[in-house]
Amino acid sequence: MSAATLIAREEWRLLARNRAGLLATALLVLLVLVASFTSLERRSAIEADRERYQASTDHDFDAQPDRHPHRMVHYGQFVFRPVAPLAFFDAGVDSFTGNTIFLEGHRQNSANFAEARQSSLLLRFGQLTPAFVLQTLAPLLLIFLGFASVAREKERSTLRLMLAQGISGKSLLFGKFLGQGVLALLIGLPAFTVLVVFAATGSTGWGTVALMIAAYSAWLLLWAFLSVLVSALAQKPRDALAVLIGLWMVIVILLPRALPQAASAQTELATKIESEIALHRDLLEIGDSHDPEDPYFNDFRDKVLAQYGVDTVEDLPVDYTGLVSIEGEKLTTAIHADSAQRQAALETEQNAFVHRFSVLSPLIAIRQLSMALAGSDPTAHLDFLDQAEAFRYDFVQQLNRMQADLLPEVEGDDPRISAENWKEIPRFSYQSSDRLDRSDRLVWPFAVLLGWLAVIAVAAPFAARRIGRMGQ
Amino acid sequence: MMTEPHIQPAVEIAQLHHRYGADPVLRGLDLILQPGEIYALMGGNGAGKSTTLAALLGFISPESGTVQVCGIDPVADPRAARAQMAYVPENVSLYEHLTARENISYFLALSDSRRGSDAIEAALTDVGLASSAWDKRLSGFSKGMRQKVAIALALARDVPVLLLDEPTSGLDPRAVLEFNRLLDSARKRRVAVLMVTHDLVSAVDIADRIGFLIAGRIEEEREAQASGSRFDLNALHDRYTHAERAA
Repeated sequence: MSAATLIAREEWRLLARNRAGLLATALLVLLVLVASFTSLERRSAIEADRERYQASTDHDFDAQPDRHPHRMVHYGQFVFRPVAPLAFFDAGVDSFTGNTIFLEGHRQNSANFAEARQSSLLLRFGQLTPAFVLQTLAPLLLIFLGFASVAREKERSTLRLMLAQGISGKSLLFGKFLGQGVLALLIGLPAFTVLVVFAATGSTGWGTVALMIAAYSAWLLLWAFLSVLVSALAQKPRDALAVLIGLWMVIVILLPRALPQAASAQTELATKIESEIALHRDLLEIGDSHDPEDPYFNDFRDKVLAQYGVDTVEDLPVDYTGLVSIEGEKLTTAIHADSAQRQAALETEQNAFVHRFSVLSPLIAIRQLSMALAGSDPTAHLDFLDQAEAFRYDFVQQLNRMQADLLPEVEGDDPRISAENWKEIPRFSYQSSDRLDRSDRLVWPFAVLLGWLAVIAVAAPFAARRIGRMGQ
Repeated sequence: MMTEPHIQPAVEIAQLHHRYGADPVLRGLDLILQPGEIYALMGGNGAGKSTTLAALLGFISPESGTVQVCGIDPVADPRAARAQMAYVPENVSLYEHLTARENISYFLALSDSRRGSDAIEAALTDVGLASSAWDKRLSGFSKGMRQKVAIALALARDVPVLLLDEPTSGLDPRAVLEFNRLLDSARKRRVAVLMVTHDLVSAVDIADRIGFLIAGRIEEEREAQASGSRFDLNALHDRYTHAERAA
């Protein structure tokens, strides 16, 4: 058995005889398991609720009586975003973003009914998910297990005796890395097992699970190795502990909160009221589709009359107000899309700022990786909004087209078309992004995590040389 | 005319100089130790005794001079040099959570020694540690018992050079006698022993030579007499007191 393996084995033996360490490890493992099962349960409940609500609103829509199609445009449709399968592992921004949108004509409503707004206040402090436990609490446990790994040998002078047996500082450090590294992976094992079982049931793809396991392994190893490295460079265990706790506070607590603040200061977003006012101003500039005297729509009327070769709207073979609605929807949608695009560009700029500085805080990197793989990141939310908007436009224009084409055949002061038509309107079905689409969001955070591991690997020979000289 | 075959010294230190920062500690130390010889290095605090051991173990890079252990330079190849030596520190530092047997087994494995449990038990028996204590954790051991475990580890290594830093500190008089018997048996096996000690009585009892380290070099050396009283204890005591005052 090599010296490094012997030293690693001794680390494990020491942990096995350290009741406080064992208890803390057992508690963390228990927490991961509890988080997994409660999170799975919550995800199933939310998914069941959404399916029920979607079925109910679909049924209500289909059950509408004969109506004027424009009434149906304003009756609208509720659409629900399904929960991504791995969102149980990392809820990401799901709890804070809305997951339901009311789709209607002329407007782009924002998503509503975020879980955090409907649940107890505790949820606002973060859901108990395996990702939360691994990202926030596991590093603390790894610090607790590793801060004294080398510094303890120095303080008790066992280091001198070890070196006197002929082992090198390099072997000693490698042994400590090995010992703490295996412990780190064992701490992640319960969560990894849950992911593998989840994949085995066919609920998610093996590729996604493998990437998730690789990402969290890198994250946990990073903390284990960092603890050993700091321990090797510190004179006393308490010095190493102070430095590591400081690093944890900066990396896990301070930077992930300070960087978004800095990004907001650098790229300011308009408030909701400011956005609404600007949007309203833009809409006023193109005119009002409901105002028959509007210059833009008068021009539009002339073009339509010329197209059909008639003199008045009453002579048109189609319902003119239906055509106006189609045109109006096209214009308002373009303005909404433009506004949303500008907003999204600013948000992207803010996110890019934060992600650039994630080299300083690998927590941002693992969080981005984890959310992207779980399908619960802001990009997935924006994807839902985009798909919902595309669906809304088609749905509203389909009703407008029904109005234009079918209404001329209907007589009377209160024209309505058959309720059978509502069944032809398609239903919203969210198509989650393919894993390959996420590759651009995965490369940088993976590079950040591997970069941190590489920096530790570069610093290790220096620390090993220092250890080798510590026999004096 | 027949010439005596050259015997390589176990330890050879020549004109060794070393300083910690601006303070010189060793100033031209010369010391040769032959296989089967026991050398007691005495001196006051700060005379350079521990630095001498650190130089032999390759823990420091001397400013000038040469150090060789069985012909190996510990600065150039510390691993190979340390494979020739066993070291017993002054403050015995072993693992509290391991038993005596587990401690020896672990450190032996670290030294890449192939010696098995028989060698460990023999060493524990030789140092006089009761067999009932072999499988007890060190957390319950007295200072003397820990010292015995450390010495047992050094013996179990079965190497040509033993470096002992205050080896009898913490041992009761009977244990000191047993320890000296162990050193005598090591001498018969051609093991070279360099012990740094304040225990003049023990040194007189077992050493072949006694050197007084004063201000970084050996100022005086006494050799054991072949017959009669091995050393003049009173004269040594006076010299030692002088060395202590000089320090």
